Amino acid sequence: MSDATYSGAGKGRSSLTTADARTAKRNAAEKRFRFYGLAAIGAGMFFLVVLLTAIVSNGIGAFQQTFIEVPVYLDEQALDPNGNRDPADMRKVSTFGYNPLIQTALYQQVRDAGIETSYEDAGDMKALLSASAAAEVRDWVLENPGRIGDTVTFELLASSRVDGYLKDRVSRDSIVNDRNIDAGHLDLVDALQADGALHKSFNPGFIFGSDASESRAEQAGLGVSMLGSLFMMLVVLVLALPIGVAASIYLEEFAPKNRITDIIEVNISNLAAVPSIVFGILGLAAFIQFAHLPQSAPLVGGLVLTLMTLPTIIISTRASLKAVPPSIRDAALGVGASKMQATFHHVLPLAMPGILTGTIIGLAQALGETAPLLLIGMVGYIATNYPDGIVSGFMAPNSAMPAQIYEWAKRADPAYYERAWGGIIILLVFLLIMNVIAVVLRRKFERRW
Amino acid sequence: MPVTWLFLIVLAIALAGYFAGRARVASASGGDRPHSLPNYYGWNVALKALVPALLVLAVWLVAQPFVVSTTVSAQLGEGAVPEGSTIGLVMSDVRRVADGLDAAVEQGLMSASEASGLDAATSNVRDRLAEAGAAIGGSVSPEVLAAAQTWRAMTATGTLMMTAVVLALAIGGAAWGWLQTSAEFRARNSVEGAIRIILLGAACIAILTTLGIVLSLIGNTIQFFRIYPASEFFGSLTWSPSFGGGSQLGIWPLLWGTLYISFIALLVAVPIGLFAAVYLSEYAGPKMRAWAKPLLEVLAGIPTIVYGLFALLTVGPLLLSVFGRDGLGWMQAGTAVMTAGLVMGIMLIPFVSSLSDDIINAVPQSLRDGSYGLGATKSETIKQVILPAALPGIVGAVLLAASRAIGETMIVVLGAGAAARLSLNPFDAMTTVTAKIVSQLTGDADFASPEALVAFALGMTLFVMTLGLNVFALYIVRKYREQYD
Amino acid sequence: MDATNIKRDDPMYDAPLRKTELDVQQNKIAARDVQVYYGDTHAIKDVSVDILDKTVTAFIGPSGCGKSTFLRTLNRMNDTIDICRVEGQISIDGDDIYDKRVDPVQLRAKVGMVFQKPNPFPKSIYDNVAYGPRIHGLARNKAELDEIVEKALRRGAIWNEVKDRLHAPGTGLSGGQQQRLCIARAVATEPEVLLMDEPCSALDPIATAQVEELIDELRQDYSVVIVTHSMQQAARVSQKTAFFHLGNLVEYGETSQIFTNPVDPRTESYITGRIG
Repeated sequence: MSDATYSGAGKGRSSLTTADARTAKRNAAEKRFRFYGLAAIGAGMFFLVVLLTAIVSNGIGAFQQTFIEVPVYLDEQALDPNGNRDPADMRKVSTFGYNPLIQTALYQQVRDAGIETSYEDAGDMKALLSASAAAEVRDWVLENPGRIGDTVTFELLASSRVDGYLKDRVSRDSIVNDRNIDAGHLDLVDALQADGALHKSFNPGFIFGSDASESRAEQAGLGVSMLGSLFMMLVVLVLALPIGVAASIYLEEFAPKNRITDIIEVNISNLAAVPSIVFGILGLAAFIQFAHLPQSAPLVGGLVLTLMTLPTIIISTRASLKAVPPSIRDAALGVGASKMQATFHHVLPLAMPGILTGTIIGLAQALGETAPLLLIGMVGYIATNYPDGIVSGFMAPNSAMPAQIYEWAKRADPAYYERAWGGIIILLVFLLIMNVIAVVLRRKFERRW
Repeated sequence: MPVTWLFLIVLAIALAGYFAGRARVASASGGDRPHSLPNYYGWNVALKALVPALLVLAVWLVAQPFVVSTTVSAQLGEGAVPEGSTIGLVMSDVRRVADGLDAAVEQGLMSASEASGLDAATSNVRDRLAEAGAAIGGSVSPEVLAAAQTWRAMTATGTLMMTAVVLALAIGGAAWGWLQTSAEFRARNSVEGAIRIILLGAACIAILTTLGIVLSLIGNTIQFFRIYPASEFFGSLTWSPSFGGGSQLGIWPLLWGTLYISFIALLVAVPIGLFAAVYLSEYAGPKMRAWAKPLLEVLAGIPTIVYGLFALLTVGPLLLSVFGRDGLGWMQAGTAVMTAGLVMGIMLIPFVSSLSDDIINAVPQSLRDGSYGLGATKSETIKQVILPAALPGIVGAVLLAASRAIGETMIVVLGAGAAARLSLNPFDAMTTVTAKIVSQLTGDADFASPEALVAFALGMTLFVMTLGLNVFALYIVRKYREQYD
Repeated sequence: MDATNIKRDDPMYDAPLRKTELDVQQNKIAARDVQVYYGDTHAIKDVSVDILDKTVTAFIGPSGCGKSTFLRTLNRMNDTIDICRVEGQISIDGDDIYDKRVDPVQLRAKVGMVFQKPNPFPKSIYDNVAYGPRIHGLARNKAELDEIVEKALRRGAIWNEVKDRLHAPGTGLSGGQQQRLCIARAVATEPEVLLMDEPCSALDPIATAQVEELIDELRQDYSVVIVTHSMQQAARVSQKTAFFHLGNLVEYGETSQIFTNPVDPRTESYITGRIG
């Protein structure tokens, strides 16, 4: 190039091996830009790590609970005053009849262990034990009436304050104004722990138990609301999968290019982006207000989540149908199959892995959804009893995992926060399993045409 | 349950029809090959029995309570509504009494004739119904009892008629299909036509859902504006519901909170998401893409309740320790616009990044080649060729993210606070449209009060806003895609 | 590889200028023992070639023979493909372009490229041409930039067609105009070598004729390397021709000699239409 008109930098027969000032500057800008990109990914990863750390570190404690081993003397005088072991009569003794026995037993235990204490009354032991202890012992006794008169050792739940003390949530400073427990009790806890009677161990009740009232955080479990979620997912699976697949087949294979098809397609893509709370309003107005289905029922929750998940399932199903090459359809049509036969005999089976993957991901999304459930009343102190059967599983008021977590997060006792985090761990484990199944399905059956 | 039985009977008719159809074609063909496979003749009969009958059953089940309640409330008239009550409340009493009577008959506490001959003046209806497990609020007035009896009578006749009509349709359909069956009859075409209609019906559920959303929002919103002036709702700057009456329900503080939180969320999500997408699509090797992309998308798969809890229990206290009374003193409590905005931003990162990633990848390689061929560096190519080319698509992605942010509920319910205020301080607690929908509809408020109905007007506002954003964004993205197809 | 007239053991730098039958032209690019791998595929095998300044060199051969791949090694466009690996030496004016110290960005400013499909940026015609000069800082002010753009567009033989709508989008031009715009865009950065990868394959015959005419003019200032599918085109525009087959450089020489009197039987088969 012999053109000297342009005297810009970096021109002429400069050597390629030495970078001029301008190139150096440009390369620095390049490095900077690249760093921004890396930093953005780093930020995303950082948030993910912080989030997961917060969940695990705060929630793992919920799987452990403090128990106290108490040898309770089952006094016949108190528990079966008629002495005839008639269940009907024994039922008349309420938990108020059991409380003194348990408290005395614990007091006796403290005494026998030679622990110094300023408490002089068995009633003072109440603060150590969960309010559920009496019910637990009563249930056991009603099942084993023959053991009345014996001394039986029970593993009883400690109160949530005691549990919090062992988990560093409660300290001597924090209970100064607490009416439920005194510093003296904490001394007792230390001593009982040293003695071996009080210990922290795995708590299946958290996973399988039912919700408990505000004051019994130590007793609350996720089991019943897990079942609520299960029944909802059954509804979603049974309705959303066939309807979604049918709609996709129509739109992908049969729909003529006309206005109605356009309207349906626009509708589906818009529904996919409607805020979930709006589906809650729909559920409230259509299913509860208009159709008079029972409030708080997993059936209604399932219906709402079905409508919410349908667009997701339709979109992914259509993608899998589209991925089946036209040559397969042509081959089937070529041997004289009808379009319907070509679709159901060839295209659909080939698209099935993709459809299932999309369905599982849709289900996972529905499983974690909370907002619409709040509006149809699946939140509150309702997940208290296991449903009696299949029908009541669908119709009886129940909560769902995420709604139960929300409920716990709203409660005043900080002991419930730990349970909310723990609930999240369980929820995420379910989501993880579902996503892993989806990934495995996709890997295993993925076809390259 | 008669409906279940009816359903099972129809199913049984269809099943019998299936085998009858198959058998008939086998005997009718007399050695000739029939037009279709025998299965299709069976299906033809079964579908003809099943589809019309079930369709009528479904429509009837939805329509009957509606017709009955309209008739009964007309019969009641204005006179039966006591002072301070509404026709709706009386009607729910009527319904409860009617259900209670049915329950009583079912449990054998009353004979059928006793139930229908009950007299409000002579017997204590309330106590007798309580035995059957039906709780009635006050004493049952003669008008209500009469209405309940009408209700029961109409429902009983309706159910009887429904049973008759549905069974007739099922049997008639089966007979029609059976008579059609002959070797020449094109059963496959007939069955496939029916399946096509069923498929179309499934596709129309999407339209029905939208229709349901619109109707349930509009109906209740109109109800709300009847008892609360629309000018106040759209004009007032105060939101202070009081369930005793005299609420001020201005939407502006809620809209402001919604937009402020969404803005902060986008401020977090858009730069991070966009840069991450650029890095992943232009710089990262296949190995890094293989792990970084799914990991980022984990953030999108985490349910919003988790983010809500994260905002309430982790981010809020963390911000409070820096900006609160012990730090800079800007923040009163852990729940604030900043808390919710930050966490929502984290949630939206993968949403922005995966959409942008798709869009950046849609920019043809030839443009990159053209730019590299001129001696541009990667960042120059990205900034001056790829991003401008992808701009419409990225704008669409950001709008979709904004619509997500506006509609997000759990994070703001837990993280933003409950106070509705118009303030510029991002460390103040504010509340949003979605959070108020939840709080107004989950309380124990009377469903007909303006305080509860306002939730529907809020829902309508939310729906219109997000729908507008979505339609616009999807339009932009589609136009963008077409450009490079 | 006798026909290439290259002795493998020639010292690369200050290789004595070879006297060809035509004239004494300066050697611009020297490639020695170039191997290119795509993953496990050996795409270019042992290619050595000298490309002269102010000459149009055509690469011909059946599809998949590696001619485009080799072209892209000349300005390191292959760097943008992760799995691509280049061995051997390629030097321009004596500088090894695969040297670690060489910045591909500087290299590509020196070795411009025009692609198979016209790829104007979705910007105005003016911005398309000004893009290169801007990033390389060739103009100090707007007036200079205007001048560069005009000159490039003139050299791209498209000035008269677009001078009234410089700010209209470049994507709105016809295919042939777009390709000439891309050529103008390439020459605007004042390259010394212009690589053209089948520049006419997406154009109709009239547009092709215009571009071919342009290529002939560009020979005044640049060393032009053109990959083409069409033997007629190679015969029309080039002075030197290299025939590639299955990743090998089969024959390299004067265009007239290759087309009239090929040495290698494979070349003969190709130009007579028996392989391809």
